[in-house]
Formats: sequence, C-alpha cells, structure tokens
Amino acid sequence: MKRHRFSVSLVVGVLLVGTLILCAIAGPLIVRVNPEAIDLAHTLAPPGPGHWLGCDALGRDLLARILWGARISLGVSSVVIALSVIAGSLIGGFAALAGGRTDELVMRAVDIVLAFPGFLLAIALAAILGPGLPDLVIALAAMGWTSYARLVRGELLALRERDFTVAARALGARSARLLVRHLLPALSGPLMVQASFGIGGIIVAEAALSFLGLGVLPPAPSWGNMLDSGRAFILVAPHLTTAPGVAIGLAVLGFNLLGDGLAQMFGS
Amino acid sequence: MLLPIMLVLIGCRSGGAPPPGYLQVDIDTSPLALDPRLGTDAMSSRIGELVFNALVRVDEHDQFAGDLAASIERPMPTVIVFHLRPGLRFSDGRSLTARDVKFTYDSILAPGSISPKAAMFSELAAVDAPDDTTVVFRMHHPYAPALEMATVGVVPAGTPIGHRGASAASLGSGPFAVESFVRDERVILRRNPYRSAAPGAPRGIVFKIVPDPTVRALELAEGICDFAENNIEPNLLGYLEKRPALVIERFPGTTYQYLAFNFRDPRLKDLRVRRAIAYALDRRAIVDHLRYRTARVATGMLSPENAYYFGDVKNYPYDPDRADALLDQAGYPRGLDGWRRLEFVYKTTPEGQRLGEAFQAMLGRVGIRLRIRVNEFGTFYGDIQRGNFDLMSLQWVGITDPHQYRMVFDSRMTPPRGLNRGAYANPAMDRLVTAGDSTLDPSARRAVYRKVQQLAADDLPYVSLWWQDNVVVMKRSLGGFRPYPNGSLRSLAEVTIGPRALAERGP
Amino acid sequence: MRSYLARRLISLIPVALGVVTLTFALIHLIPGDPVIAMLGDNASPADIVSLRHRLGLDRPLWDQYAAFLYGIVHGDLGRSISTNEPVARLIAERFPATVELAIAGLAMAILIAFPLGFAAGANPGRAIDIGAMGFAIVGVSIPHIYLGPLLMIVFSLNLGWLPLTGRGGLSHLILPALTLGAALAAVLARMLRQSLASAGAADYVRTALAKGLSRRAALVRHALRNAITPVVTLLGLQLGGLLTGTIVTEMIFSWPGLGRLLITAISARDYPLVEGCVLTFALTYVIVNLLTDLAYGLIDPRIRVE
Repeated sequence: MKRHRFSVSLVVGVLLVGTLILCAIAGPLIVRVNPEAIDLAHTLAPPGPGHWLGCDALGRDLLARILWGARISLGVSSVVIALSVIAGSLIGGFAALAGGRTDELVMRAVDIVLAFPGFLLAIALAAILGPGLPDLVIALAAMGWTSYARLVRGELLALRERDFTVAARALGARSARLLVRHLLPALSGPLMVQASFGIGGIIVAEAALSFLGLGVLPPAPSWGNMLDSGRAFILVAPHLTTAPGVAIGLAVLGFNLLGDGLAQMFGS
Repeated sequence: MLLPIMLVLIGCRSGGAPPPGYLQVDIDTSPLALDPRLGTDAMSSRIGELVFNALVRVDEHDQFAGDLAASIERPMPTVIVFHLRPGLRFSDGRSLTARDVKFTYDSILAPGSISPKAAMFSELAAVDAPDDTTVVFRMHHPYAPALEMATVGVVPAGTPIGHRGASAASLGSGPFAVESFVRDERVILRRNPYRSAAPGAPRGIVFKIVPDPTVRALELAEGICDFAENNIEPNLLGYLEKRPALVIERFPGTTYQYLAFNFRDPRLKDLRVRRAIAYALDRRAIVDHLRYRTARVATGMLSPENAYYFGDVKNYPYDPDRADALLDQAGYPRGLDGWRRLEFVYKTTPEGQRLGEAFQAMLGRVGIRLRIRVNEFGTFYGDIQRGNFDLMSLQWVGITDPHQYRMVFDSRMTPPRGLNRGAYANPAMDRLVTAGDSTLDPSARRAVYRKVQQLAADDLPYVSLWWQDNVVVMKRSLGGFRPYPNGSLRSLAEVTIGPRALAERGP
Repeated sequence: MRSYLARRLISLIPVALGVVTLTFALIHLIPGDPVIAMLGDNASPADIVSLRHRLGLDRPLWDQYAAFLYGIVHGDLGRSISTNEPVARLIAERFPATVELAIAGLAMAILIAFPLGFAAGANPGRAIDIGAMGFAIVGVSIPHIYLGPLLMIVFSLNLGWLPLTGRGGLSHLILPALTLGAALAAVLARMLRQSLASAGAADYVRTALAKGLSRRAALVRHALRNAITPVVTLLGLQLGGLLTGTIVTEMIFSWPGLGRLLITAISARDYPLVEGCVLTFALTYVIVNLLTDLAYGLIDPRIRVE
C-alpha cells in the first residue's frame, strides 16, 4: 500500500517532467511563431487569439518564447544540477572519508566559496568567462557545487556513526563497497531533495547572470530572462511574469515529485 | 528566542513619514556628495541647486543667467566680471561675499585638491575678489564657454573640502539647508531661515532614495511620495494617470540619446554603412512604443530649446530600402540566408537591453547582425572608455553650452582626455569645434555651431535618437511647479503644498 | 570541547584570509577603474594620474595587496575611494540594518517552515501535505526580486495593511522579512517534512505507537529530534543564500543596509569598500556557521565534537 503511494508521486513527477521536456522538444515545431520577431505595435498585448499568452514589451509572442525558452532553461538547469551534484558529492565524500587534515582543508575551501557573495563572484566570472551557454553552465556549477559538498560530508559523518555502518565495518566491508552499497543509497534521499529544489534556483539564477553579462544571449528566450525582463511591467502587464513564473513553478513541482519518488525508491 | 532580539533591535526606532509641511520626493540613486565641489553626479547637482547658489545657473529657457550675479560684464576677451546681488546670506546668517566665491574656486584649483571638478577649469587662470560684491574670472585664452565654469555652488570661505568625507554637508545660501543626509536612505532639507519663502511653500524636502522602479510608482500611487521626476518607467505612466490624486506632466527636455559608432572599426568608417544603420532604425516606432511618447525624435545633440540649435540638417527617416541599397553599394551584399557579412557588437547595461533588442531586430531586417553584450555598469563603462565596442547607445544630460561638441567629436578628445569614445576624426570638425571655443561673438558662434550640427548630421559620428521629455508625476494638490528643460528641480522651493488631507490611500 | 572551539576559531583565520585574497584578486581582475568611475567624464589625464597616485593605485599589485593586509591586521580597512570616508565607519553604519533584516528573515522562515513541515510530515500523502508542499514550491520558485513587489502590491497597495518601504517599526519589517525568508522557509519545510515522514515509518516511532503514544506525541518526542539534524545542516547551508538575499531585498525595500553599500561600491569599483563589505559578509557567514556546527552537538549527541 505504501509502495503504491510513493509510485504516485513518481508517476506524476515523471509525467510532469516528461510533458515539459516534450513541450521543449515538440512545442517549437507545433507553434511555428518566431520567438524573436518583434512587433512594436503589439507591445504588452494581453493574452488572446493569435497570441495565446500575450506579447512582451517588444511585442514578441510569449507562448513561442515560453516553448523555446523551455529548451534552454530545462537543458541548462539539468546539466548544471548534474555537474554540481557530481562535483559536490565527490569533493564532500572525499573530505568525509579522508578525514583529518584533508577534510579540514577541503571544508575551509568550501567555506571560502560559500562565504563569498555570489554577486561579486558572478561579475568576476562574467569577466573571465564570456556570454554563451557553456560558460553559463560552468559559472552556475562553479557557484552551485558547494552546498552538495557540505551536505554529503555532513550526512556521511552522521552515517558513519549509524548502526548499519558500524555493522558493515565489523563484518569487514571495504570503504568503497561500504560507500556504494550502504552510504550512497542513504545519501540519495537528501541529495535528491536538495537537487530538486536546486533546479528552480538555477532557472532563476540564470536570469540574474544574464543581467551581469553571463548567460543566454539576447534575443534568445529563457524562462529566467523572461521573468526578469517582465518584472518592470508587473503593475501594468502581469502576464509577462505569470507565464514564465508558472512554467518555472511547474518544473520545480515536477522535479520535486520526481525527486521524492526516486528518494523513496532508493531509500526503502 | 529570536523574537525578543528583533523587538529590542526595532524598539528604539520611529517610522519614516516626513514631518508636516515637508515634501517627499523619491529619487533613484543616492547623491554622492553634498559639497558642490565634490559631487559630479546628476543627483548631487539636482539637490545642490536647492542648497547652494552659484554665480550663474541655467534658467527656464536653457540659458545661463545670473544667480548670485546681478550683472555680468566681459570687458576683455579673457576677463569676466560678476557683480553680486546685495544682502546674500548663508543659512547660518553669515553674509556671502566675493571672498567666499573666490575661496570656493581656489579650493577646487589648489594643487592637491581632491575635487574631481578641477578638470573643468583648465582655462581658468585666476579668480579675484577686488571687493565684497565683485568677482573676476581671468582666463588663459578667449574662452566662449566660460559661463559654464561659473555654475559651481558657493560655500563659506574656510570650509574644508572633503575633510570629513563626502557625506558631510556644507552650508549654502540657497532656499534650503541640509538637515541630514543618510547615504542610500534619505536627504532631508529644511528652509534656510535667512531666505524668505512664500506662504504654503514646503518647509522642507525629504529626498527618499528608492532604487526599485516599481516601488517608486507604488509610493506615488499610495500617496506616500509627493513628487517624482524622470524616474518613473514610461510604461507605468498610464497606470498612474488613472489615480485621481496624481497628475502627470510632460515637458520638452534637453537630455539627448544617441547611438555611437566606433571608428576604429574599418567597416564603420564607411559613411554608407553608418547612414544605412541610421535609415534602418525606426526611431519613431521606438519613441511611440518603448518610450510611450515621452521623447522627441532628435536631429542633433542640441535640442530646440538651446540657443545654438539648428534644425536644418540632413534627416534620416525610417527607410529600410534605402539602407539596403546603401549596404549593397558599400560591398556587403546579402547572402543566400538573407544576412550580410556584417556583424557588430552592441555593448549595453541591463537597463538598456530592451532598446538593444529593438535595434537588433531593426538592423536584422536589413541583414545586419547585432550581437548584444549586457554587462553591469562598471564593466560597461570601462569598455566604453577603452573603446571596446562597435556600437553603443548612451545619453548626454544637461548640455547647455555647445562646446560639448568639442568634447565628443574633436579627434584629440579620445578618453581619458575627452569624450570622443568612438575615436571619430574629421579635420573639418576639429577646426569647427575649436573655433566654437574661441569665438566670443554670439551670432558668429551660432554660425559656427550651425555648421557643426550640419556636419555631424552629414558625417554621422552619432545617430541622433531622441530628446527625452522631462516627466513629472506629482500630487494634484501640489501647485506652481515650473519646469526647466534640463530637469532642474529648483522650482520645488516655490511650489505650494495643498491640504495633505487630499492624499488618498489605496484605490 | 574547549580545544575544539579554539581550533574552529583559529580556522576562521585562513577562511577570512582566503576570502580577502579572493576579493582582492577578483575586484582588481574585473574591468573598470575606480578613478575613471569617480572623476567621471571630465577628467584630464593629469588628474587621473595624480588621483591614481594619491590612492596608491599606481603601485604594483603585490605592494597594494601587502599594504591592504597590513591595514586589516592593524584593524584599518582604509578609506572609501568615492566618498573618502573610513570604510569601517561606513560598514558600522550599515551593518545593524542588514543584521536586523537577516534575523527577521530567518525568524520568518522558521515561523513558517516548522508548522508547515510538521503538518505535512505528520500526515504524508494527505491533503494537508500536498497543500503545504505546494505552498513550499511556490515559495522556492519565486525569486526575491519578483516576490517583493508582489507582496507590496497585495499587502500595501490593495489591502493597505503594511507600509511599503523604509526602516522603522515592526510593521516595516514584515514584508522584507517575508520576501527574504520565503525561499528558505520553503526549503526548510520541505526538508522537515521529508525527515519526519521517513522517521514516522521508522521502528522507534512504531514502537512508541505500540506503547500507546499518540501519533503526534510520538512524532514530537522521538521523530522531531532525529529530523532536526538535517534541518540544521540545511539551515547552515542556506545562510549564505539568506545573506546574499539581503542584497536584493534591500534594493527593493529601500533598506539602508550593507548589501546596497556593496552594490554601489562594486559599480564604482571602490576597491577598499568592496573588500570591507565582502569581508564583513564572509565573517558573518563563517561565524554563524560555526554556531550552527556547535548546535549540532547539542541536538544530536551522536555527532561528537572531537
């Protein structure tokens, strides 16, 4: 009975994320409107026939921009999350297992990055890197890995004292085996939760970075930069921000349910 | 556990409503300094004009006119004599004399002075005060724009410059005195007791710094803010117009928006390419739909309010066909995909991105690719100064004397010496703008600048985009505001505050 | 314990040094020039050279770095380039406002997260769980910069309940705290729910239930304790985000804090001021983190502080 309930969130999550990915792939092929074509006569046009989600401040069709933006936003955030989780887990895991001096050193390095205001880091990264998607991914991952490193390390230290670890050690399990068979499954829950929340943060962070010169090049749409550029019109044309806001919300919801379902699957 | 801490932290502070009889004016950035010798930013000079008097100020007709000076003479080409008005007093009661004026200038010009304004005065040889009411400017050469140097606010003799840091306020002789200045929070001015004020005029002004544009609009809508100028997004004007307690007024302004070319790029040295770009930009449509008709399409840097303005120059109405033909002639035919082999980098800030995207789309129609690079202001400004751009758009605020043309178009005026950031070089222009500086006779000088404006429109170092209107949003109960083309807020000293009870809250 | 604390305090030094060095390197690396930013458009080359000399910016970078470190060690953060005021004073004027905002944001986050997370975690799969988690998702997916004006429109413009901006009484603090704390509240609630839900299925809770305890009592007495460790970890992790969030929140609510000082300093390339602000932010972060780590030992004795 319990198993069934977990599958529901997994199924809904898979369906939602799947639908979004499908929209990203097929949407632009079905709605054949150029997302970059400006039409100053239709600036801020409300939703209606012809422009089902309305038009933005340059008269561009919002539906087309949402669908094209899905490609960039979902693609970038998945790659960034994957990179951040992998890098963070490796570094955090290494620190926890190595212990002692190494642990101390790694964690102080993590502290430095975490303690550093992201805004300045982003300006600096924007100056070192350039605009464009690969640089964007590098910058976001460079700012995102630390929280996973700390989470993994903290959890590993706690798990080290848990019964099953002690038991497995007593039975003579090697570290690597211990890590793969026992610790990783136990870690996957908190990691999934953190990562699934991270997705929304990354979609929004992308907009903040494009603000600083690192990000999707205009006029290409992303949900983040749509939300950001619509902000000035919140009083007079809220549909500019509602559309990307709902899209981001759905993506976060979908990844959450998916993460939830996966965490339960691994955890049980 | 946390809540008691919070209460302790908060308990000792009072709310932020202005005192009765005070006007609240929302501004978007903090002034840098309230010492007129230090602040070079627009906000410092806007507020400074209410606190300090200068020998001359720019008046409602965009002309230099006496402020402290009752009359001005030019007995020799290199000498200007200012006769001060009698009975002038600082806000502590001290009388203002020519010695104070001399001190103000001397402290700027002193070797080792930290005033960033020193560079404005390279033509000024000496300032003399032969008696209490006479100030004499002596210049190295006959210098036509000399009156512009007489616009610095005067402080009492002996006031140290920037000793206690830039937020230390100085005494002035203007209608208001600084009551307090908390950087990034508010500047409070109160009446100068030694200046008469009309009944009903504000007893003080609270300049509140509100960085977020939506929040500024909300403060007006809620009746918290009484007055705002040029910092409300044009798209919000329609929304605010519907509020019965608010009134919106638009006045022609002198702020000039332009598109600059970088002449270090051989493709942009080709006049046909520059003209094609000018024809390809639908400035009318941008003014109508992005600026909500709060601007006039410009013909040159000087607006029609300026005494040196001439409108009989070459015009570039929106004409993509002509642009196409010019680009074909210049040797950049369209490829099979419709694009030409012309790609330019357009540098801008986040605030300017939307405009950049409009340019991008318009140039795209004639086959030119524009790559937009958005950077925060510090990086953008550094790039512009180093000539690291192909195209960029900025504005000049508060141009009164036409010698600005020399700063921006003289080939010797590349940064850091001047403002010729695109490295434009044309010997004919150099000769004209140099003559403009030394020609003292007004009608001869007008003739020089007529040629300058015609040449600038023919040769296109800039595409003139528009002159921005001064847009004022204020309480309907506020009376008697008089606009200045350069956006000065000096008339806030004379407005009348209606009954505060009229201030409505909510819809 | 005492030696642990001493070790941790000493370990703050390399972190502070690292942050300071990184800041120094980055701010000098990025394009832009404090002298040109300050003198504006009318500077002559001679002015630029002389100002650069007076500020010591014409010296080799190593030299400037050494002088800067020397100053910090002697408690001198230097003077702001653009205002010529002591950096330490500028920061001291602003820091209380930021601390006030951050504490209020944290308090708001906890006030929202615990009831939400508990209600959801105690009833996994029920309507209340779905509702609470839906709320959390909304909270986490709305960026500050959008949430702030939205809250203002609803609570100030339309309802007229709360003031728009400024720093004053408690009522001035609610909207900024909500804006700042919403994302953290969402993440915390989600983590708490997750921990509680899995603890609810654990043996010790089932044992407690079998012993006749009510479900709520069993959760509060046994599960909440276990669930709180990851929540505290997360809190420590998210504090950096909270501090960064103050920057945007201060911009929206015209809050005169350290974040706005930093933004102004960065765009003016006011090197000493940027370095001072970043150092303050970083030290706040590491000290709060140290406190979080100490709190671990109190909450979960299994994590021994060696």
